[in-house]
Amino acid sequence: MSFIDSLLAGLSLVGNFESFLALGIGVAIGVIGGAIPGLSATMAVALTLPFTFAMQPITGILLLLGVYKGGIFGGSIPAILIKTPGTPASSATVLDGYPLAEKGQAGKALGMALWASCTADVISNLSLILFAGWLASFALNFGPPEFFTLMLFSLTIIAGVSGESLLRGALSAMLGLLLATIGLDLIYGTNRFTFGDPNMMGGLNFIAVLIGLFAIPEILAMVWNPRSHDGTTRAIGKNWVTFSEYKKSFKSIVRGSFIGVFLGSIPGIGAAPSAFLSYSEARRTSPNKENFGKGEIEGVAASEAGNNGVAGATLIPLLALGVPGDVITAIIIGAFMIHGLQPGPMMFILNVDIIYGLFIGLIVSSVFLFLIGSVAIRGFKYVADIPRGVLFPAVLVLCVYGVFAVNNNIFDVGVMFAMGWVGFVMLRYRIPAAPFLIAFILGPLLEDNFRQAMLMSGSSPLILFRGPITWFFWTMTAITVVAIVHTGIRATRKGLDQHKENEE
Amino acid sequence: MHNRTIQVQLGIGAILASAFLLLIAIPNWVSSPSNVPNIILSPLFWPNTLAGLTGIVGLGLILTSIPAPKPVTEEASDVDDRAAAYFRLLAMAIIMALTMFALPRLGMVWTSMLAFASVALLIKTSHPKAALISAVVMPLVLYLFFAHVAGVAIPQGLFVRLP
Amino acid sequence: MKKLKLGMLGAAVLGFTATAALADDYPERPINMIIPYGAGGATDISARTIAEPLGSAVGKPLVMANVTGAGGATGSVAVQNAKGDGYTMLFARVGSHSVNPAMKATLPYTLDDFRFVTVYEINPVACAVRVDSGIDSMDDLVAKVGEGGVSYSSSGVGSLLHLAGVMVLKEFGVENPLEQATHIPQKGGGAAATAVLNGTATFLCTNSSALASFVSNGQLKPILVTTAEPVAGFDAPTAADLGKPALHQLVGWTGIAGPDDLPDDVATKWGDWMATATKDEKFRGTMEARGSIIELMSPEDANVFIQGQYNTFRKLVDELGMRIEG
Repeated sequence: MSFIDSLLAGLSLVGNFESFLALGIGVAIGVIGGAIPGLSATMAVALTLPFTFAMQPITGILLLLGVYKGGIFGGSIPAILIKTPGTPASSATVLDGYPLAEKGQAGKALGMALWASCTADVISNLSLILFAGWLASFALNFGPPEFFTLMLFSLTIIAGVSGESLLRGALSAMLGLLLATIGLDLIYGTNRFTFGDPNMMGGLNFIAVLIGLFAIPEILAMVWNPRSHDGTTRAIGKNWVTFSEYKKSFKSIVRGSFIGVFLGSIPGIGAAPSAFLSYSEARRTSPNKENFGKGEIEGVAASEAGNNGVAGATLIPLLALGVPGDVITAIIIGAFMIHGLQPGPMMFILNVDIIYGLFIGLIVSSVFLFLIGSVAIRGFKYVADIPRGVLFPAVLVLCVYGVFAVNNNIFDVGVMFAMGWVGFVMLRYRIPAAPFLIAFILGPLLEDNFRQAMLMSGSSPLILFRGPITWFFWTMTAITVVAIVHTGIRATRKGLDQHKENEE
Repeated sequence: MHNRTIQVQLGIGAILASAFLLLIAIPNWVSSPSNVPNIILSPLFWPNTLAGLTGIVGLGLILTSIPAPKPVTEEASDVDDRAAAYFRLLAMAIIMALTMFALPRLGMVWTSMLAFASVALLIKTSHPKAALISAVVMPLVLYLFFAHVAGVAIPQGLFVRLP
Repeated sequence: MKKLKLGMLGAAVLGFTATAALADDYPERPINMIIPYGAGGATDISARTIAEPLGSAVGKPLVMANVTGAGGATGSVAVQNAKGDGYTMLFARVGSHSVNPAMKATLPYTLDDFRFVTVYEINPVACAVRVDSGIDSMDDLVAKVGEGGVSYSSSGVGSLLHLAGVMVLKEFGVENPLEQATHIPQKGGGAAATAVLNGTATFLCTNSSALASFVSNGQLKPILVTTAEPVAGFDAPTAADLGKPALHQLVGWTGIAGPDDLPDDVATKWGDWMATATKDEKFRGTMEARGSIIELMSPEDANVFIQGQYNTFRKLVDELGMRIEG
């Protein structure tokens, strides 16, 4: 079958009202689900799954993909408005989105998040359609040694999000790495810091840690000083993102999208590291480096491009290899199987109409995301106008419900509270929270892949240098570390010089 | 607190934490099977590495604080009455502890109402009426959504069950 | 405030009388069904597929709750600690309720803490290697173990995949599979299959449903299925063909359990409901399309089956010194 034939076959499959309705409803469910902290894109997809059993395969899968895409964008809404990322993927959006909301520019931040998300979505979908086969065979070259070096490189992001002091960022990262060791050991199944408690054996729930670290400290800071914000206005304002701002951030958005495509096509990484990597790259290359973390619109654009860039690309390993890239695609693969479809190379031959139908649906989904996202922002933006005395207790209650819903476990609510205090102390001591989170995500991946590589090679470290991919990441890591040390020394010198001038 | 004191305090804290982990926490609370073929495969290897690195970061924090400029002026305290602020924090901690205690017993809806109201009271909300109404309405709306739309088994408690 | 408290007290009294009058009108409210594994996994899909016909048989809503963590232990403990009133039930799985108890001394529960009301689904286990691995049969694999460097992936320590890899090698004459082959645990079943696909591990043994798409796409090659009957779509000898009937014990299953103090009449009711639910055509169709065998067991049969599998596994674990003590 030629390309045109495949396209027409696909079109005949999705060119009906139900498909588009499913896609639209999916995006809407996703945006709302993503916007409710704790519900997250994963939960929204899992909850929608049973409804797809009775549908046509393509309609059901489009519905789920709509939820997925909507959810990843929806997570940015609470991240910006109440400093509570709706999904883990939007934690990087908090860094600049919330300061913007504090300045009364929530509308602008939300608008930029939407534009960046949609742009990244288009790029990601096109990459899926054009490069699926090639990227998938590339992704299959990623074994534990390659993963280990990639994770090592990704840990250098920490330098980019450490703020004023690199060492405090490092301390924050160490804390995150240490807390991530709680749970059962992967290789031997033995206990680490679990104290025999079955709740601890599963490790600390990621979303509980995330919400505890970002949202609860804000509430505690409010308790510490309830009057600190009197007199500052926090209305949404008429600020909407302008086209010139979009153009200025365009480079970061495209870069973030491709980072997302790359990381998304490799199974097992997910959207959160991609968002952070995109953010730190944007910061590194921006002339406004100083303003990042204090309300830089480009930071929001980069983070959102990074996480939405993943959304289309995670379908690459799913469709081309039958391998789920993250939790959400693992659920979506379940939907394929229920309908008797077996994702993998043969699907491009046996079910080419479904593949092309999905491609067409994906392209259309970006448009739906833009339309429904705009409506959602208009609806949600009034949250920024709620007086703090009502908003903050409300956020607390919302977090309790949301964190419980993630794993139906009251213990997680306790984890969230405890992490809230950790976050508050870190806030007081000016320790940045972002490195903690990145380390908490990447730490287990780093350790597990290291030990898996050692198992493969019988403890010979040479395996960490096998093949060009490992060498590539070792080189990247070395270059980045040198650059970090270099700027670090320069910054210290500059500080000392200023200090001398002050004394003289 | 100014930069230098922060650095020194953090540095000391990190070194203490590192020592605690290396000497007490890891030997006692991380178990490792006896037949591990190689030290780098042991479940102890990674925690020990991290604990060591934490100590080094702590040392670095102390060392870099030495040449840091002394503050010219003391930063103004951010709250008027520190004692009252600490008291509020303590009260908040108690609210959280009570919430954890009450969640499985009273149920999530009623506990949330009480938590909402007490936090609003604690921060002396500027809109008491709106806060009170939200305290009652919001947990109910969230319950309806999570229990009936999302199908989550929200804890019901031992006393009053909601439909 | 005072009125509220009084009201609660009154409701409390009402609540207690309501629970006292159990059994006859059980169930009078929705039942919490805990799934100890994550969304999209074999247990989750099985549970959510039966939820529909089962819900109509029960007549009250079933609230599905995924409580994940520690290879199914976190969710299982939630049910172990729940009241035995039949309003909190568990979807138990081979990993959480026969491999885990056999392998982990540190597990916070034993089989005696649960009362099984049914096992309704059996999953054949298949072993597979990469198509270009040069291994065509179990004999080839065993020969390769002799040369060294063979590894198998699993979804974690104490999972069915972990034990299956060891048990199959042992049955085919490998003296000490723990020493002669390397176990490379992964996070989750999907990652375990990927590990074989990208050459990290040599083979894996898991539920046939988890391998079906890789096999039909020509990415993985099955070399053994552990059932007596062949499995559709798997062009590989059965354990019976190869004369290893002991491997028939090595199958996956899903069942439903309550806490150990679950009353008899509640268990009986569940038996009746399951009999109705598993007759549902749509349910059977969906499950069989995924390669499952629907086989309804009464509470007694389920207990015998699980105990039997547990004892087989436990014997192997003790023989090889695989038990995790720390």
